[in-house]
Amino acid sequence: MISTDPWIWLSALLTICSYSLLYGDNPLFRIGVYTYAGTVIGHSVVTGYFTLKSRFLPLFTGQKPILIIPLILGIMSLFVAWRKYAWVASFPIAVMIGVGTGISMRALMMTDIIGNVKAVISEAALIFTPPLTDQIGYLIKVIFTPIAVFYLLFTVFVRSPASKPAEYLRTIGKYIFLIYFGLSVGSAIMQLSGLAVSSLYRLIKLWLGL
Amino acid sequence: MAMRIPELKSQYIWAILLAIFTVAIIHPIEIPIPMSKATLDVYNMIENLPEGSIVAVGGAYVFAFDLESSASMIACLKQMARNHLRVVFVPLSVEAVQMHKYCIDMARVDEKYGGPWKYGRDYVQLPYMPGMDAALVAFLTDVHSAVATDVYGTPLDELPLMRDLHSYKDISLWICIHWAFPMIVRYVTSERGIPSVYFAQAAAYASYAPYMAMYPGKVFMTLGFLGGAQYEKLVGIKGLGYAAMNAYSFLVIAFVIFVILGNITMLTRLGEEEE
Repeated sequence: MISTDPWIWLSALLTICSYSLLYGDNPLFRIGVYTYAGTVIGHSVVTGYFTLKSRFLPLFTGQKPILIIPLILGIMSLFVAWRKYAWVASFPIAVMIGVGTGISMRALMMTDIIGNVKAVISEAALIFTPPLTDQIGYLIKVIFTPIAVFYLLFTVFVRSPASKPAEYLRTIGKYIFLIYFGLSVGSAIMQLSGLAVSSLYRLIKLWLGL
Repeated sequence: MAMRIPELKSQYIWAILLAIFTVAIIHPIEIPIPMSKATLDVYNMIENLPEGSIVAVGGAYVFAFDLESSASMIACLKQMARNHLRVVFVPLSVEAVQMHKYCIDMARVDEKYGGPWKYGRDYVQLPYMPGMDAALVAFLTDVHSAVATDVYGTPLDELPLMRDLHSYKDISLWICIHWAFPMIVRYVTSERGIPSVYFAQAAAYASYAPYMAMYPGKVFMTLGFLGGAQYEKLVGIKGLGYAAMNAYSFLVIAFVIFVILGNITMLTRLGEEEE
């Protein structure tokens, strides 16, 4: 049965407006785009306002006087819009980058670098464990990972007697990246078709009730 | 002279694709969904969580890109509600709030839809927490210092579920349905040892799959709508994942036909040019 919920009707109307681009640029599509952009910006502003309000409430009630520091830094960051005094904003930006780097550096090293190296080493042993499909998979991974890393590390390298084999490895590394990019593009297309399916699913199931 | 294939306008191609999608959704062809070990592992792990365990669902990214994960998430929410687990939604981006709300509503687990969950007792939606990594670390360290109210402005102390959640030590599992999964692996799994599940988008899967090798038995992932369809099968529902997989099956045939037609056209034109 067709939906009686006005929000579902609105959602369906905007979905159809968006899809009308497939026929070419038209006023319906523009209505959809402007509505979307306006809604997203409006929502972000309102969310930001309420977040700030709730975050700084303990400062004004006297529960957390230390919040005066982020408040001052936040106000300083607004100077970025004023060219003459834009340098004031560099202080809060520096604090933000410093805190971010400090927090993430250890976790990033442990997870993405050391963790990855450990995983590749531990998977080397699994090459000899059946089934065959898994063995091939692990073999590809254990060979491809160091070669791809080699390609990145030696993008620029000095000419030497080892240049020739290094050049071969770099070429293989380049192809490994191309395979990866191909896979990523294929997956991205799958994802976009999936998004189309989900919007049509909403139209057909939620709006038309078929 | 070779037969000339008429040129297809892009609008016709879109119309054909639209028809394929629509037919597949209205009349699914009952395709078999092969089960993967990865999806089964996630399902079994959640099945084995003790009743009343607290699961956090959170992360950050854009609604449209995260939507693909909703198929698995909706099925998983049904499973968690059935098993009497408790869930706290932790949005670290503005649009994550809507994404969480969308999944809860679509799963129909709240008692207002006849489901077993009661807001505040079984699940809580927290408001957007700015600061990304810093916000996540603050939340894991001390929940009540990091956030004071839920998304509706109710103080956390008034919500029974939140009285049992003070830090990461109270969280049994973290589920991520957002592209910013590396952040969850780094701070939740790597640093604090909490298992994490990522209902990955197809385009993100290849990039983040190595995390499963880095933390075997700690990091779990499912693959896009296929993972969603598998999860729906395990939970016993037919939802968005199933519809998407049906549409994909039709779509792949259409793609192959278009590729063949395109190549025939190109070869015919090459022949004509040579003549």
